[in-house]
Amino acid sequence: MYKTNKYLVTALLIGLVFHGTSMFFTLESTYDALIHLFFGNHYAESWFEPWNFKWYTGFSVMGYPPLVHQAIALLSFIGGLKFGLFTVGFIGVILFITGVYRFSALLTGNKTVAGYASILAVFSSSFLETFHLFGQLPSIIGVSVLLHALPEIYLWIKTAKYRYLCTSLSLIAVTVTSHHVTPIFGMVFFIFPLIGMTIMDVSREKVGSMKAITFKIFLGTFLKLLKRIISFGLFSLVIIVGSILPYWINSKNNPITQVPIPHGSRDNFLEITSSGLVFFLIPWGVLLILIPYIFYRYFSKRYLFFGLSITLLTILGTGGTTPIPRWILGETAFNILTLDRFTLWASILSLPLFGEFVYRFVNGDLKTLIQTKFGTIYYRLIGGILAGLFIFMTIFTMSLGYFRPSQPQKLKMLPIINFLNQDQHDQWRYMTLGFGDQMAWLSAQTNALSIDGNYHSARRLPELTTRPIERLENSKFKGLEGIGSLQQFLTIPEKYNLKYIFSNDKFYDPILFFSGWQRLQQLENGVQVWEKLNVPPIPAILPKDDVPKWQKILWGTIPFLAVIIAFILNLNLLWFRTLKLIPDYLNFQESYSKFSNRILKVTHLWSIGLLIFVIYGIYNFYIKNYSHHSPENAIMAYYNALDFKEYEKAYELINPQSNLSLAQYMLEISVTDGLMSSYAKLDVIESFVTSQSDSLASVKVNTKWITPLEKIIKTDYKSLVKLNGKWYIQPEDLDLDLPPDQLYSSNQTNYFNQGRRRITTEQTYHEDILKQPVLEILSAKLVKYDNSYALIGEVQNIDNVPADVVLKGTLFNNENKELATYNAKYHIKHKLMPKEVSSFKINFEGIAWSKTQDSIPKTFNPDEFTPVEFDQQPTKFNLHVAGNVSGSDLYKDITLSNLNISSLSIKGKLFNSGLEEITIPQLLISYYDENKNLVWVDHQFIEEGIRQQRQIAFEYFLLNKDRILVISDDLTNCFVNGLPNESISNKLVPTRIINQTHAVLQPISHIEYKFIKIELNSYIGNPN
Amino acid sequence: MKIKFTYLFIFGLLFISAINSFKKSDNIDNFQLLTTETEFVADTKIELNFSSINEKLPKLYLSNSYGTTILKPNLLNGVLNFQLPESISKKTGIVTWKLLLDTVKLTGSFNINPKQEVSTLETYIGPPSIVAGGTDFSMIVIIPTDLFDNPLLDNTEVNVRHLFLKDLSNKAHFTKNRFAYQNIYSPALSGRILVSSESLNKNSKEYDVNVLPAIPNDFTISYKRNHAFADGNQVTSFFTSTIKDQYGNIVSDGTYVEYFIRTDSNVILKTSGTTIRGVATAKMIHPDHEENWIVKAFIEGMAESNVLELMYEPVISDFEISFSENKRIITIGPLKSFMSQLIPDGIEVKISIYQNDSKMSTITKSSFEGFAIFKLNANTFPNDTYTLKIEAVGIEKTFRNLKLW
Repeated sequence: MYKTNKYLVTALLIGLVFHGTSMFFTLESTYDALIHLFFGNHYAESWFEPWNFKWYTGFSVMGYPPLVHQAIALLSFIGGLKFGLFTVGFIGVILFITGVYRFSALLTGNKTVAGYASILAVFSSSFLETFHLFGQLPSIIGVSVLLHALPEIYLWIKTAKYRYLCTSLSLIAVTVTSHHVTPIFGMVFFIFPLIGMTIMDVSREKVGSMKAITFKIFLGTFLKLLKRIISFGLFSLVIIVGSILPYWINSKNNPITQVPIPHGSRDNFLEITSSGLVFFLIPWGVLLILIPYIFYRYFSKRYLFFGLSITLLTILGTGGTTPIPRWILGETAFNILTLDRFTLWASILSLPLFGEFVYRFVNGDLKTLIQTKFGTIYYRLIGGILAGLFIFMTIFTMSLGYFRPSQPQKLKMLPIINFLNQDQHDQWRYMTLGFGDQMAWLSAQTNALSIDGNYHSARRLPELTTRPIERLENSKFKGLEGIGSLQQFLTIPEKYNLKYIFSNDKFYDPILFFSGWQRLQQLENGVQVWEKLNVPPIPAILPKDDVPKWQKILWGTIPFLAVIIAFILNLNLLWFRTLKLIPDYLNFQESYSKFSNRILKVTHLWSIGLLIFVIYGIYNFYIKNYSHHSPENAIMAYYNALDFKEYEKAYELINPQSNLSLAQYMLEISVTDGLMSSYAKLDVIESFVTSQSDSLASVKVNTKWITPLEKIIKTDYKSLVKLNGKWYIQPEDLDLDLPPDQLYSSNQTNYFNQGRRRITTEQTYHEDILKQPVLEILSAKLVKYDNSYALIGEVQNIDNVPADVVLKGTLFNNENKELATYNAKYHIKHKLMPKEVSSFKINFEGIAWSKTQDSIPKTFNPDEFTPVEFDQQPTKFNLHVAGNVSGSDLYKDITLSNLNISSLSIKGKLFNSGLEEITIPQLLISYYDENKNLVWVDHQFIEEGIRQQRQIAFEYFLLNKDRILVISDDLTNCFVNGLPNESISNKLVPTRIINQTHAVLQPISHIEYKFIKIELNSYIGNPN
Repeated sequence: MKIKFTYLFIFGLLFISAINSFKKSDNIDNFQLLTTETEFVADTKIELNFSSINEKLPKLYLSNSYGTTILKPNLLNGVLNFQLPESISKKTGIVTWKLLLDTVKLTGSFNINPKQEVSTLETYIGPPSIVAGGTDFSMIVIIPTDLFDNPLLDNTEVNVRHLFLKDLSNKAHFTKNRFAYQNIYSPALSGRILVSSESLNKNSKEYDVNVLPAIPNDFTISYKRNHAFADGNQVTSFFTSTIKDQYGNIVSDGTYVEYFIRTDSNVILKTSGTTIRGVATAKMIHPDHEENWIVKAFIEGMAESNVLELMYEPVISDFEISFSENKRIITIGPLKSFMSQLIPDGIEVKISIYQNDSKMSTITKSSFEGFAIFKLNANTFPNDTYTLKIEAVGIEKTFRNLKLW
């Protein structure tokens, strides 16, 4: 007689209600869910075509098993992509709960225990984390189906009935089509120990009791079962390889030759506590308390092999905390695999025993033991504590995404999609900045192609694969590698047909501006659109790596075939089992009559140890974070508050006796704009107390800041006072400069290019195309310094309209072989008014670290520059200048108002004579030799912004370079808008006064250079 | 013997060719072109007829510069009739045809000419802006086309008219290679040329070419300031005269003029302005100490200004400094300006601290209500003797061996 298992039904009901409602608030802001959604969209659009053009420069979706994505795609035909995603989420929850139930029943042979385990599984913190925080749907479905497969495998080996072989193999096929890693490691960590357990059970049946099993008997049984084991092994190998054969072919053809991307699960959890929390403490959760019990049980004779498995998993899950995982896995596997999955599996392995423990605690021998030993009150108390902890971990895990969001705020994508569909904007590639994983959602909704992508194994461009960055999109979090990679794409966007950038993060604005991009418009959702001129559209035919048709058909059909076959086979069996048969493994129930006294003791001791550890951790946390505790703490807290723009918190650290009101403090902070105050992210902070008395301290603070343009190293001296036992910081003095006038007025010429005058889709409405502004290259030279080469010179806008300037230089050797090509980046004023001149320099930048992968510097420097390695000597160059009419960023009201020249440096002041606040002033400094020949161009960003009608001071240190060698100053191969420079010059400025402003070059006293020229450029962060 | 063989060979060849040609003529006899016209006008009904003896229905292969098609015949009373589709009969040019037979070729060609009626004047003009002075030009290209977008025959008359200010010109052209063109050279004055064209009584729409000023001529500069004192606060404005090119056109708005200011200490300061109606205005903050400025403006490589000299008088000849008892609080001021008023806030006061002739640090503060107050921290500057150098508005004062406690 079969009784419905009320625990399982309860678990399913609670699970569906709990996860089913909460996932609408969590799943979309997880790391992975939207990537799977994007893949789902791919299959919905072209089920049988594995090539996707939307990310990178095209990639194959055969790099990830397709089942979950195809399921999303299939369901999306009913109710859209998100419907597909959430429905798959539901299925995942059901599969997981029932999987844990069946696995627990298999292991314990007790349906009540299995019911307990399934209820606990609903709230298991590792499942919550994987589902609601990471969104790893394929992984969850894979492991759940594997759990379902385990009883079938057991029955096949034990009973040798072929229907079990069929059911187990069909489930393995479903597992592998949803997640490839799960069955491979599952073999080792789940199936091998299971086989061991089966052999134990068979042996026990032979000898009557567990104790009587000797190694000899075990070996004998093993040999008897060997045929079944091997047949299962071979068939499952065939299934694993065969059902996703195109995947294996694809990974063989496109091996992952990328620099490994750092992952928190490989950190040392004791050093980087946040990783320890996310990848160790949360997934283990309450199970940590039960570790002695779990290990004790798993190392009993029957489960011995599971004991080995969980030990290995636990160790592997500790990541870089100990060197053992690295030894076990080897360097390569260690750096490719994310190790959090091992902890997930370990916690899943623990669930049956967790169920068992709770069962014994609630109405079994453990309850009796505790009650007789410690009394009823104690029993209730620790019951309450355990339950409380369990609930706390559940709530804590679920709310982690709320308190520490891993994603930027949810963006409305519609304005971006509309923008891309307008006016043929989707003829170019686009890139997003600061979107987080939502970029996948955008990609799923538009036909436009992105240069970036969110599935890092599929990256193909060497600019990306040689750097450990997942996406360009969040490159600021990846330090040097990130910004370094990003700036290459920004400097030569025409190489990738990249024209539009959607920026949701102000941080990137300066690098965009100084790389020659211009703001187009702000969309309704607050996203700023940046545009680059002179970029050709994507060619109509794009290259792709095609695969044979049979692979495409296999890829498109096998996963669902596997599901259908598995469904038919198992459903059939399920009926059968429900009605008549009691599966074999239920015969191995334990009676739970006597809970080991010793293990209770050990668990108590272990819990006390854990408690001490936690209290110590909290105390440490408090000492480190109580900001008034010491001068260092105060400084650290102050800088952190400033870094996160928590000004009220920063104000609380200011000496309360300094008569500075919060309003005044906020006002002082809010008027300072600039690279430092608006775009810098604190990277490293060190503080040294230079002197300290009871109530007074001086602290030297060394800070390193990351800005999008360069690394800034600062040294501040702060004074602190101690009042009532608390340390406070003395406020800084304020710039008191007062401009003479209250109201200013000024006139300016504005430009507007209306594009097509009539609304038409005609591609080139030729009357509406403006003439490209004519530019002239006044001088250009190929120079060599420290074994690297650069093109320097001067370019003038000789037209009557303002021009956006794109400069592209190419180097050749004596045999006219092209050696390198690059664009001007920071060393030019990208926007020139009519008749304005700008000096320029083109650095020839290579793809960083493409050769020496192991020599990636550990420290961050966005200004890092990797010169191209030349195997031949460049002797000639050509230079292409393209002008395009631009009406934006033409602010020129910045003047050089004071200069003080010494032999080492130039100190001076810049005056903002206009009506816009300059956010980042830039100096372009050209060096001349004694004959007033241009020999070098340098630049410097000024950290502080300049408010209207005010001055700021700067200091520029003169270069200390060896004499720069001029290799060529031949202008014959210079072209303006595709026409020879010389003929344009002769036609438009036939009476040019050569070197007219050489009379006003600034003399300096320097060994090599006798004159300099200072040009000024400015970035306006918030134009009025 | 040799000759004989040669004759034999030639004879043999002749014989073979005779057999061949006999066979060919046999087939040609079956199908013959009946249509004699070889010139058609676009969009008239065009047919090709062939005489046919047997019941064969060969297809006709047709090709013009737009593409190729194959037609099926209609057989009417022993005449094979092919009706050309509109896609071919509408387009001018040579059409070649070929009757598709198994053995031999029957080919030919005919011409389709445009209707000599202008439907549209396809016009291209560029560049849309040129420089005044007569060397730069814009070219207008006109292709008169018929209803079906076919260019008309050569030697079609096309009139190009253009107006600049009051001057209207009209010039007749005859198409050659199916188009007519004219170079419109820029006048000396800047402005806008309006262009249109006409052919066979059909007029084009209006096109325009902007004539922009040529490169600027030299100019003069002037300045304006509220007073001549070096207070480091007021702003002096510089103006150019109206900058014009050699033809008297005011340069385009936005033209960049750079001002260079050479000071007494031989440093070169810089400001700039962009022109509006030919006048470029630039601004510069007053120096905070006595100074003479020599100012000259440039439009790089093209034009320059006269030299302007400005003098800035000092606002302060002296200021007071007072120390606190332990010498740690230094009060500078009152800083009084030219009318003995307190100097506007923000004058920079620098204090450099030396110990044993080596500089320890420089602290800069801006004045507030005439005073600048420095506090020397006991942690940074322990009790000892120091030398202080105080600098403001170009005046420097040194205090040697001050004992701080």
